[in-house]
Amino acid sequence: MNLTPNALCFGEGLPAAGAPCHVLLSADGLRVSPSYPSDFVEESVAFSALSVAAGGLDHDQLVLSWGAGTSARTLYLKDPALIVAFRRAAPPELTAHLERAAEQVRRARHSHRLWWGSAVGLVVALGLLLWLGSDVIVEWAVARIPIEWEQKLGEAVYQDFLSKETVLKEGPAVGAVEEMTQRMTAKILDNPYHFKVSVVQSPVVNAFALPGGYVVVFTGLIKKAESGEEVAGVLSHELNHVLQRHGMERMVKMLGLAAVVSIVVGDQQGLIGLARQLGLELATLKFGRAQETEADVTGIKLLSDARIAPDGMIRFFERLSDNDKGRVELLSTHPMSAARAERLKAELAALPKRSPEPFSFEWVKVQESLAGAEPKK
Amino acid sequence: MKSEILYPGAFPMVRVYLNDGETVKAESGAMVAASPTIDIESKMEGGFLGALSRKMLSGEKFFFQTLRASRGAGEVLLAPTVPGEIVVMDLDGVNEYMVQKDGFLAGAEGVKIESKMQSFTRGLLGGEGFFILKISGTGQLILNSFGAVHKIELKPNEEYIVDNSHLVAWTATTTYNIEKASSGWIASLTSGEGLVCRFRGPGVVYIQSRNPGSFGAWIRQFIPVSE
Repeated sequence: MNLTPNALCFGEGLPAAGAPCHVLLSADGLRVSPSYPSDFVEESVAFSALSVAAGGLDHDQLVLSWGAGTSARTLYLKDPALIVAFRRAAPPELTAHLERAAEQVRRARHSHRLWWGSAVGLVVALGLLLWLGSDVIVEWAVARIPIEWEQKLGEAVYQDFLSKETVLKEGPAVGAVEEMTQRMTAKILDNPYHFKVSVVQSPVVNAFALPGGYVVVFTGLIKKAESGEEVAGVLSHELNHVLQRHGMERMVKMLGLAAVVSIVVGDQQGLIGLARQLGLELATLKFGRAQETEADVTGIKLLSDARIAPDGMIRFFERLSDNDKGRVELLSTHPMSAARAERLKAELAALPKRSPEPFSFEWVKVQESLAGAEPKK
Repeated sequence: MKSEILYPGAFPMVRVYLNDGETVKAESGAMVAASPTIDIESKMEGGFLGALSRKMLSGEKFFFQTLRASRGAGEVLLAPTVPGEIVVMDLDGVNEYMVQKDGFLAGAEGVKIESKMQSFTRGLLGGEGFFILKISGTGQLILNSFGAVHKIELKPNEEYIVDNSHLVAWTATTTYNIEKASSGWIASLTSGEGLVCRFRGPGVVYIQSRNPGSFGAWIRQFIPVSE
């Protein structure tokens, strides 16, 4: 006989993985036939001879047993339609057994849902704790990361980034950025970093800092800035991201969440990979609003200490505020530029008055030196 | 589709014969050689979401390769990455196997592969992660192991204890619980076994004679550390 199998039959003389068989329900019991030619003999079993339970890995199979000794047989039904048909055909004396089996399945599923619900809840709670309320833990953890380690990480990412870009080695723009850096870093007390600032040819109007004191200024920023003081303002902001170890804080926060996810999916190796991957994403790391504000405030103090006109930084944000139209402050990691400018004005007013010393370069000439260079797209 | 294991032992290959138009899906990178009538296609088994969940959740490959006898019958030679045995089994539509994530080598067109979420305790403590592969359908299923494959046959209610790192595959009719290897936690840890799986029949459990994690730890001591 060759019938499509709908159950597995176990017992003496049958394969250990189960013999595929076909179960046909009748008014007084079931008929079990082998699906393929085998030693398994077709058998009719009365409902009264059956014992019923739930079984299988997830308790989702109906297990029917009959006989004893060498003629004992166990049948595993998985097809939901067949299970429903069996429940309907079964006489009342089996109802209690079926109810017990159904209760077993319900308990298993309930326990499954409960555990998973608790696990998901725990992960979400941990995630929220790490993301929202973990500043103290993160700061504590970052304070224990050695500066040398931070520099190694930053340098690796920095070299990787520069290897794909056109870096200006000399010229008025490089000289100007070096002068700004030198004037500011000389005023940092107990500076643990050896700042390295590179000018990279790119139309991007921006600059960024990596952990360990590695900073990149794009030529787009130099071309767009109206004065050297504006660029110095941005540079001061970036130097302060490094000094406040904002990059490391973001990394620890992000790794904290990733670690939880990796543990949940059972991927211990992936955790190490994630740390490496995150290193490469540092260049585009978004700082939080509080970190941006902190870098602004400490940045303007540093400009003032270095006797660089701090209003360049304020002017830069005022000009940026023209681009803020349509942005919603709550959705942005950067505080709105107009608000930043206002905040900086207030901070500046509270600082001791110092007369600024001009730079040795002429800003127009610095910009003219970049005019010939075609920006890299 | 028919198959034949070549060079049984530590470094086997499997020769798969395909009739005209037949296909075999294999783990990405498993093909060693093939007849010129065979075309290789990369396929996301189970669609994009299925493939993504397999990759993200069970650590399996995102793409399977599908080898199709497009221009007449032919043969394909397949081999796993790790040294170890190959086992071929026939699925007939009712039996299902749970397979640990590195165990799948190849399957006939009718073989269905899904990611399956384990119960919380099994996922947390079983050493296979929270997701494993559930393989069902019809046709030949080819699995590979690290070391030799050993088949444990369990009668109804018969029990057997397996170190979870040695699991390859087990039938869906078996049940298992995770437990400590010894009665006390310290004895469990110091015995080097830690947690074990207590399987209960009926069904079949395939185990591998070597433990990939322990082998990795052993070989790591010989790898020079670069500064």
